[in-house]
Amino acid sequence: MITLGQLVLSGIFIGSIYALMSMGLTLIFGVLRVVNFAHGEFLMLAMYGAWAITRLLGLNPYIAAIAIVPAMFLFGAIVHQIIVRPALDKPHLVVVFATMGLSIFMQNVALMIMTADLWDVPPIFDHSVAIGPFYFKAELLVGFVVTILCTLFLRWLIRSTYLGKAIRATVQDGEAAMLMGIPVQRIFLITFASGSALVGLAACMMMPLFSVFPTVGLNFVLIAFVIVVLGGMGSIEGALIGGVCIGVVQSMSSYYVAPAYGQMFYFILFLLVMIFRPNGLLGQKGAATLGIND
Amino acid sequence: MPGPHPYQLVSARSPLVWPRRGGSLSIFEIGIFVACVAIAMIGFSQNLQDIVVLTFLWAGLALAWNIAGGYAGLISFGHAAFFGIGAYTSTILFLRLGLSPWIGVWCGGLLSAGFGAGLAIICARLRGPFFILSTLAAAEVARIGALNWASLTGGPEGLSIPPVAGIANMVFASKTPYVFLMLAFLAAVYAVTKGLEASRYGYYLYSVRDDVDAASAAGVNPLAVRTAAMALSAGLTGIGGSLFAQYFLYLDPTFLISPDLSFQFALLAAVGGLGTAIGPVLGSFLITPMSELLRSYLGSQAAGLHLVIYSALLIVVMLYFPSGIVGALGRISGRGRNL
Repeated sequence: MITLGQLVLSGIFIGSIYALMSMGLTLIFGVLRVVNFAHGEFLMLAMYGAWAITRLLGLNPYIAAIAIVPAMFLFGAIVHQIIVRPALDKPHLVVVFATMGLSIFMQNVALMIMTADLWDVPPIFDHSVAIGPFYFKAELLVGFVVTILCTLFLRWLIRSTYLGKAIRATVQDGEAAMLMGIPVQRIFLITFASGSALVGLAACMMMPLFSVFPTVGLNFVLIAFVIVVLGGMGSIEGALIGGVCIGVVQSMSSYYVAPAYGQMFYFILFLLVMIFRPNGLLGQKGAATLGIND
Repeated sequence: MPGPHPYQLVSARSPLVWPRRGGSLSIFEIGIFVACVAIAMIGFSQNLQDIVVLTFLWAGLALAWNIAGGYAGLISFGHAAFFGIGAYTSTILFLRLGLSPWIGVWCGGLLSAGFGAGLAIICARLRGPFFILSTLAAAEVARIGALNWASLTGGPEGLSIPPVAGIANMVFASKTPYVFLMLAFLAAVYAVTKGLEASRYGYYLYSVRDDVDAASAAGVNPLAVRTAAMALSAGLTGIGGSLFAQYFLYLDPTFLISPDLSFQFALLAAVGGLGTAIGPVLGSFLITPMSELLRSYLGSQAAGLHLVIYSALLIVVMLYFPSGIVGALGRISGRGRNL
């Protein structure tokens, strides 16, 4: 029983960190209706940034977030202006291939500059935290708390601020929003940049737990896609629930079954959700068959 | 329920493809074919012949991908799974049962086609990014399966085909027969594509790709059409995978079923021009030799440089010439329809 509780709780904590990583993706999809295939490489870039600040300045990744989050916001804004915005009024394929190209580009630039070596940062806390009979890495708990705070903040931002209102109006009907004087292009820019900033924050939470290497993004972006679809694309709370599901599935299957097959489980889970609930667990009705393609 | 994306309402429906013509060959196409045969006849050095083999093979595979991605609108980032299934099937049949690869190639193609049809039945009703992500996930399941089912696939160590030259083994000592083999594959896939363009079935594909609702109203069954297109595309990809296995004589699961390979098929087709027969061929003829030469000259000093150039080219092409080389050539000469 203790083992089971330990597994479920660590699954929830690691899953919440995955959720934080997926929130940017789901936010961008929800508003712009594009999938950023370079999301994993944004994570990779931010992880290298957090690693460099930790190593060169002798700080830790949590403090690095103060610099990384605005830097990723800026980076996202630049990518939006150069690549995503010109592709928005073209057929859907264009943005898929353009972000895919960006993903391969960033991966290989990282390979040329940083080589394929794995880099990590020294542990930040020297002992685990005990909650009742269970023990956890303190880094996991920090990630969990940050994710919860971030979810609450985004919820407040979207529901209670003027910016949030403008974003919701853009999602509901872009043309009508434009006629009401909402600068839709600027909303797109802010959303894309915020999504990138969120993945920057996630990278700082993940740096103490994982190594960074040029293709690190590929491993995590597949998890992020699964989470985003599970949670119903575009839903922040859904991403949190989807992330926790994946975390629990991963920690249970790597204990009870072989870890290699653990990965297979969540891809099969993903395909099953696509077959039986294509709108995700919490998603809006018709999201998956909405004419995104047209 | 959110409304449609504003920019999709504002923009005119600009198809990525040129208007279709009948299945006849133009002078340009015949010229390219003659040039290919001439290149195959000339005895280049081993290294150059290697590039020729790969150029023909990737061109055939990009064309096969294009049947699903360009003609049917089913953008798949999981075609490496079909490639891998084809390669493993013919190799395992040969190693275990001694079945000649000349027969094994067809078995690989059929099995891949079956998997393609299955995937299409499951996923074809999903649209846009959802379909793409599902194909990506399906290929990951196949990759993890191939890595872990060691008793069948040899696991991470892969499988080797004994390098015993002989026509029955489909293993040759020199590279020249491979050049002709891959050219035959390319020509066959090209013929299938042209046949598809000219057939009634080709019209079904276009109608389902461009407007599903109108197509179903006109009596076309979208699921059947998409399933058949995916099966055809997957089957041809599987045959290509078997030929690749016969050329390299070694199967490495992390290469065979990698997302990178799936992207490569799609990129060659997209850079060349989606939904055209000649586009993916031109895409491969331009990019494969370039990336192979860059890889061999710079490979050790600058790992990844060829992919940096490759991907930068892709971004530029997609943003400024979304209909690929074919569209760009057409724009320059003003005769795009004649290509």
